[in-house]
Amino acid sequence: MRSLTATMRSAFAEAWSNRSGFWLQVSIMIVNDLVWVVFWVLFFREAGSVRGWDTQQVLMLQAILTTGGGIVLGFFNNARRLGQLAADGALDATLVLPVPTLPHLLVRRVETTNLGDLIFGVALFVIGCDPTWSRIAIYLAGSLISVITLTGFLVAIGSLSFFFGRNEAGELGFHAMVMFAMYPVDVFTGPGRAVLYSVIPAAFIASVPAKLAESFDLGMALGMIGAAVVFATVGYTMFTLGLRRYTSGSAWTRA
Amino acid sequence: MTIEVEQLSKSFSTGRAKRRTLVEAVRDISFSVEAGERLAYIGPNGAGKSTSIKMLTGILRPDSGAASVLGITPWTHRKQLARRIGTLFGQRSQLWFELTSLQSFRMLGAIFDMSDLQLATRVGELGELLDATEVFAMPVRNLSLGQRMRCELAACMLHEPEILFLDEPTIGLDLLGKQLFRDLVIRLNEERGTTILLTSHDVADIESVANRVIVINHGSVIYDDDVEVMRRSLFTTKRVEVGLERPVIVPEIAGAQLVEHTETVARFVVDTSKRSIRDVVDAILEHLPVADLSIVDPPLDEVIGAIYSQLAVE
Amino acid sequence: MQRTLAERGGFIVSTGFYLAVVAVVGSLWRAAADGKGGTIAGYGAASLFWYIAATEAATVSLNMRLIDDIGTDISGGAIASEMLRPVSLVAVRMASEFGRALPRLTTCTLAGAVMSWIIVGAPPGLVSAAMTVVALALAIGCNIAAQHAFAAIAFWIRDARSAWFLYQKLVFVLGGMLLPIEVLPGPLRLVARLLPFVSMAYIPGRFAAGHVEPLLLLQQVGWLVALLAIALRIFATGERRLQVVGG
Repeated sequence: MRSLTATMRSAFAEAWSNRSGFWLQVSIMIVNDLVWVVFWVLFFREAGSVRGWDTQQVLMLQAILTTGGGIVLGFFNNARRLGQLAADGALDATLVLPVPTLPHLLVRRVETTNLGDLIFGVALFVIGCDPTWSRIAIYLAGSLISVITLTGFLVAIGSLSFFFGRNEAGELGFHAMVMFAMYPVDVFTGPGRAVLYSVIPAAFIASVPAKLAESFDLGMALGMIGAAVVFATVGYTMFTLGLRRYTSGSAWTRA
Repeated sequence: MTIEVEQLSKSFSTGRAKRRTLVEAVRDISFSVEAGERLAYIGPNGAGKSTSIKMLTGILRPDSGAASVLGITPWTHRKQLARRIGTLFGQRSQLWFELTSLQSFRMLGAIFDMSDLQLATRVGELGELLDATEVFAMPVRNLSLGQRMRCELAACMLHEPEILFLDEPTIGLDLLGKQLFRDLVIRLNEERGTTILLTSHDVADIESVANRVIVINHGSVIYDDDVEVMRRSLFTTKRVEVGLERPVIVPEIAGAQLVEHTETVARFVVDTSKRSIRDVVDAILEHLPVADLSIVDPPLDEVIGAIYSQLAVE
Repeated sequence: MQRTLAERGGFIVSTGFYLAVVAVVGSLWRAAADGKGGTIAGYGAASLFWYIAATEAATVSLNMRLIDDIGTDISGGAIASEMLRPVSLVAVRMASEFGRALPRLTTCTLAGAVMSWIIVGAPPGLVSAAMTVVALALAIGCNIAAQHAFAAIAFWIRDARSAWFLYQKLVFVLGGMLLPIEVLPGPLRLVARLLPFVSMAYIPGRFAAGHVEPLLLLQQVGWLVALLAIALRIFATGERRLQVVGG
């Protein structure tokens, strides 16, 4: 634990001293998130409600998504870069240290601009989501669980590059995840919807906790926790198995 | 034995999906190292040096064979081993680029469970040893390569490792930087008894640092002996390059074999065990219109070629 | 060979993402219209789906990093060396950008049309469908011209990236990319109509939704001419500045 906090402190100091245009970047992040809020407000002003979703619920979705996503991309930025690091053979510096490999890697890079998302998420929740005690509890728990699920998913798809040597799947999965998590899951029907509850668990990242804030459902809550456990396990296992096949950049740079 | 390697092999698959081929990076290598040795592990680029070191530090798993480092199998107990060895990979840094080395040391200290006092004492010692106390306090971004390498060396020695693995540590350093670095490594070894395993493709690294040499090529060990022995048989070869003031016919010069001759340049190979380099140079200066003269070591591939031909003869 | 393969892979992936966005946003609007008894802001459920298919095709067919690239070329000096050629630099660049966007536009339009047809049925009108194609090409032209005009600020300031970002958001909301501008509140709608961004997304969408309003094509042509003139003008000024300060 001491080694993880020390690593995180260094990562933070590193990111902070390299923050050229920091406030500009953060404002850009916030404007981006704000535009989506504008879209949803305009949409529901016209539509009233769609498949059980209304403005307040979709704002809760946005708040949890930007909070959870901001934490993952801000504090565990390597979750997203893992596949590239593995393919490039850039894990050596970590592997020669007596630290738990995956946790150390995850906290080894901080991206300050993504903290703009986090700031936005918290602000949106406080201002736009009617923070009663029960909603605060669901917002916090939902964000935490979405951090776990998202990290697990990113680690799992990133680990594929241990097996294939390239990271296309990782990039693709990341973009698909971000895109699908943004919309209320009930917009999707049929097999597409099933995918978002399983292989690409976008539903659990933001839609499900937002639904729970509106009307609590124990089964749904347990499903969400279950998904977090499953993806954390799958991510960890795939990383561990993949690491055995780590080539330290030798296989792909030769010949 | 500090390091024991038995028939270690490792292959990588290369190329794109359909045309995948296996390349044997390391093939059945065996050797052992005693505590306190300074071993140079040399070979041309792509010979399997890095792959070997990465297996001995637990980063890579071998396909077959066995190895024991300080009594530990590296790839099954990598983290346990990591507490007792230090590694420096020339191209991969352990330091944070934007921070000072001291800040990086603080993280490493926490990772190696050192108390603040232990760390401060150790950093003080290393600062003195490496003559780098001030350099430690500067952001790594602003350091020259030589300064950075000293900081890297300090980083991998914070926890007083019993073995140091140095992979191409002098790559990119200027002549003076290389010499300083070599002296340091020797001092570490002599004062603390740290075992050194060093890879390089610079012949000078081997001559001045190592007391034993293993040559690896195409994944196999082709030579393993004391540097003294190798020096006697191989480092007695020098090349002499002479820039000529005007085109001339080059006369026979005893002890030197003319290997190349143009209007402006003459190149000789000298066997210094037969005639001293001084005598040969004197003779050249006397008989040729010399504009410029340099004496160089044969490049490593020539040394290895020589080892090969010797092996073939024996 | 590998390079073209990778490019073809990128092409397929981006078309896939285009279809996914159209399916999601289109379904969203369709569901909204169904919930409101069939129409929203005068658009039927199927029309909204076709609307989104068109606006998305008009925007994703462009090189997303275009503004970024131009900015890099300007500050990196590539522009300075191209200036030696005896043709209008910006005109050549815009023409080649247009050529590059056409295959993607064609692919997206075809794929989007097929998908829309399968999901919500035939396009709302034949004449309007034909006009959509023309409007799409004009939209791309307007977009490229506007992006060059926007990017030319890199002659004066270093960071073209933020300009690009702002620009995207303007097309997003005021251009009607994800929502028909009829949905905007009154004053904002008026502003949107007066700005060039509607020419880059809303107008082809409007045709695709079945409206036959030839005046809109005229509006696009007007903006295209205006934007081209502005882009040429700003580049000329910028180039002169580059020559004066020596780039």
